[in-house]
Amino acid sequence: MSDISSSETTQPSSAVVLAAGEGTRLRPLTANRPKPMLPAGTRPILEHVLNALIDAGISDIHLVVGYQANRVRSHFGPTYRDIPITYHTQANQLGSGHALLQARDGPDGPFLLVNGDQIIDHRIVEAVSTAHTDTATLAVVEGPEAIDYGAVHLDGDTITKLIEQPADGEFRLFNAGVYAFGQQIFQVLETLSVERGELPLTDAIQLLIDEDDHSVGGVRTDHFWMDATHPWDLLSLSRELLTRGWVDAPTTDTDIYVAESAHIHPDATLVGPVIVDSDVVIEAGAVVGPYAAIGASVTIGSGSVLRDVVIDTDTTIRPNTTAIELVAGQGCRIGAALTVGGGPADVVLDEEVYSDVDLGGVISDRVDIGSGAVLESGALIGPGATIGPGVVVRGHIDAGSEVVR
Amino acid sequence: MCGIVGSIGRGDGTVDVLMEGLRSLEYRGYDSAGIALGPSMGVLRKSGELDALAEVVEANEPTGTYGIGHTRWSTHGPPNDRNSHPHTDETGRVAVVHNGIIENYAALKADLQETGVTFTSDTDTEVIPHLIAQALDAGDDPETAFHNTVDRLEGSYAIAAIIDGTETIFAARQGSPLVVGVGDNCTYLASDVPAFVEHTRNVVFLEDGHRVIATKTGYTILDENRSPVDVEVETVSYTAEATGKSGYDHYMLKEIHEQPTALRQCFSGRSDALAGTVTLEEIDSIPQPDEVQFVACGTSYHAALYGAAILREMGISAEAYLASEYALSPPPLSLGTLVVGITQSGETADTLAALRDANSRGVSTLTLTNTVNSTAARECDHAVYIRAGPEIGVAATKTFSSQLVGCNLLAEELVDGSRDLRPLIESLRNLPDNVQSILDTSSAERLAEEYGKSNAYFFIGRGTNVAVALEGALKCKEISYEHAEGFPAGELKHGPLALVTPETPVFAIVTGDDERAQKTLGNIKEVQARGAPVIAVTDGESDAAEIADETLMIPETEERAAPVLANVQLQLFSYHLADALGRPIDKPRNLAKSVTVE
Repeated sequence: MSDISSSETTQPSSAVVLAAGEGTRLRPLTANRPKPMLPAGTRPILEHVLNALIDAGISDIHLVVGYQANRVRSHFGPTYRDIPITYHTQANQLGSGHALLQARDGPDGPFLLVNGDQIIDHRIVEAVSTAHTDTATLAVVEGPEAIDYGAVHLDGDTITKLIEQPADGEFRLFNAGVYAFGQQIFQVLETLSVERGELPLTDAIQLLIDEDDHSVGGVRTDHFWMDATHPWDLLSLSRELLTRGWVDAPTTDTDIYVAESAHIHPDATLVGPVIVDSDVVIEAGAVVGPYAAIGASVTIGSGSVLRDVVIDTDTTIRPNTTAIELVAGQGCRIGAALTVGGGPADVVLDEEVYSDVDLGGVISDRVDIGSGAVLESGALIGPGATIGPGVVVRGHIDAGSEVVR
Repeated sequence: MCGIVGSIGRGDGTVDVLMEGLRSLEYRGYDSAGIALGPSMGVLRKSGELDALAEVVEANEPTGTYGIGHTRWSTHGPPNDRNSHPHTDETGRVAVVHNGIIENYAALKADLQETGVTFTSDTDTEVIPHLIAQALDAGDDPETAFHNTVDRLEGSYAIAAIIDGTETIFAARQGSPLVVGVGDNCTYLASDVPAFVEHTRNVVFLEDGHRVIATKTGYTILDENRSPVDVEVETVSYTAEATGKSGYDHYMLKEIHEQPTALRQCFSGRSDALAGTVTLEEIDSIPQPDEVQFVACGTSYHAALYGAAILREMGISAEAYLASEYALSPPPLSLGTLVVGITQSGETADTLAALRDANSRGVSTLTLTNTVNSTAARECDHAVYIRAGPEIGVAATKTFSSQLVGCNLLAEELVDGSRDLRPLIESLRNLPDNVQSILDTSSAERLAEEYGKSNAYFFIGRGTNVAVALEGALKCKEISYEHAEGFPAGELKHGPLALVTPETPVFAIVTGDDERAQKTLGNIKEVQARGAPVIAVTDGESDAAEIADETLMIPETEERAAPVLANVQLQLFSYHLADALGRPIDKPRNLAKSVTVE
């Protein structure tokens, strides 16, 4: 930032955000919205992403939308925090390179590229932005997760190689998914074709490296970033945000955040860290927290005990519910005295077994649950399902199905 | 006649400022548009949408350092180039733009014609430049000529004029909206704030009788006696981009999808679900009225029908009147009457006239509006805001939903006595999600395809659902241009049933399972017997879904909230019908968003 004249030409003021994907591994929570609109704390993941960009000084945002695009458009509208948003539609989800290509008419000069489903500290954005000179710059982090995200070989501040599927333990530096590009990237992407239903961005970056082995810069960073791959990751994501205070509500006590329009009965107890968003109602005797994220217009009945939960907007929880490690979607009606005892659990997703997961249960959007129901650890209830009174829910319940005792 | 803009102090950027300003006022009318620039006194005008003028501007590259502009919705004379604003005098020394109606224009025109003036248009506006020119010829200086002319005008108007050799914009407001934007060394004028909000958020809201003399060094505001008046410069909060389309094909679709947010904003902070109470701070102190008279037009009138129905259920005498009829045949008023004007823009001329009539008869007035600082908000004793955010699509969608919620809040605040409002509050709090679930799952698009080639569309309902039936039909007419009618279901057999055939689908709004629902089921069978396909808009509590040929389902909720949900399904049907027919959904022919003429 010391050299103002060069920063004017290479420091991006625009950003492209990829928000078109469904996030199939987060089904059934993504039935009605794309993954970037799932809750992190009480706000969509994407809102946190845009906050990081704006906090880093970005003044022009381009959102690539696709799956359930209207959800993104109606949430943010034409501006967010007074920064204009331009929407670009990716009709078919054919990979990150293809998604970026949809925004080719968007930014004029250099720009940043981030994922809409990955929460990042704004300092990562600043680091990439500052280090960017010409063609491409990407954030590099160190950790054991290289196997999941694609490793990089870093020589000084130059990326010399991308390794898509590294062998376990072989690499510890990997691509954090935060990029700065010049307009050249679009030309490179246009020379590539979609193969096996994918046009990955990394292919284009590898091409840039092949053409000129000094064209792609890497900048090491150790600031916070996190994404959600599986439904239970939403719990840890919220935990992290609550711990850091990255929530959008005034604090009433060190780690207790309550929106002004929320109504909390004087005999209810909030145990921090906890966030209670606008127009929430918490009745007498309820104990909420620690690690509870209560979305806008949620009602929590008297005597309920909620710990380690993410409750999305407009859900109503009747009295005397006990919920530990629960993710609940939007507009659910949960009858009195539901019991969700918490993990650990063995969860089966897409025929893969995940053992010892800390998950009480997942309730998707607009599920109706009768009083006295019990969720066994790791239960997953699809959207619009109806669970009768007193039912003990095990494993998967399909969308729209009705379960009675 | 609809939107005006003016700009002085922006130098060579003036043309762009005027064109952008007109672009953001396009919702006020789009039959024709034009600009006039000083010091050249060049005038460009073109019938059709603003793009037609933009082409002319691009071809001619006009220059100027100050100017005025106009986007028009015809009241006098057909939309053609000749009738487009700005209008000039015979010699081109004076150019004028005008929004409103000059009621004594016929007499003024006759006087001018007697002195040999030739008129080139059919508009009432054209008398203004001729009068100014006549005053100049009589020896008046330009400012005096402007004042003397305005003194002679009767009716409602917002006027902006430029006069050769003055480097000044002269403006006056009487009954039509006009605001001044205060920039750094520049001044803007417009019918509405979005026209210049990109350049400045410092705004003076003019009162009737105010006149503005704006030069590049500043502005002066005078009253009708030409004495300077002190005015307050206010800072407005919304941004220019708040009017963008966010990637939706139409503003209407965007606004339909914004309803969950709009409803949340309308309701937020206005209830206490723990205590079961509703509080509207704005009108906390109003005593319970003996009687409520609603005045409104168009979609707002349907909200008024709903509002009157719920007040009557609560034991308060209440009636909804069409504003355009109200002042002409006013109902009796007593001291305990409250007159409530519902107007999205707060500028609807018919509604303002009705409210002024009530004001002049000494009763309390209240407006339920979406527009802070609008004329209605300033002139009424009380204002309650529905907080729906800007609505650009001519067909009202989210503002109607918010008006219905606003009516509930208003009724609960106005009527004394303790009641347990928790079920109502819960149903209103659930509305955003219930609307979202309709947006996620509606089969309206499929039905619009299936029934898109029908001869006519009928909408029936009872109780508060009458308002939904009428609104469903109005939306259908406005944007699809198809014949549509709404009726109270019981009225069918008294006449309209003669129109029902197998080619006329009937939308029956049936919510709950009370006597009204049961009787509407009877009406469904009545039209089915005539071969009409029936589409039930229902929550599934009655047998409507089983009896009807098709259904548009809404979530189960309280009786008061159900009409909001039923209406969303009908909005989607009308939208998809109009879209399939290729209609210009955001700018239906002959209509304007904010009807500022009576």
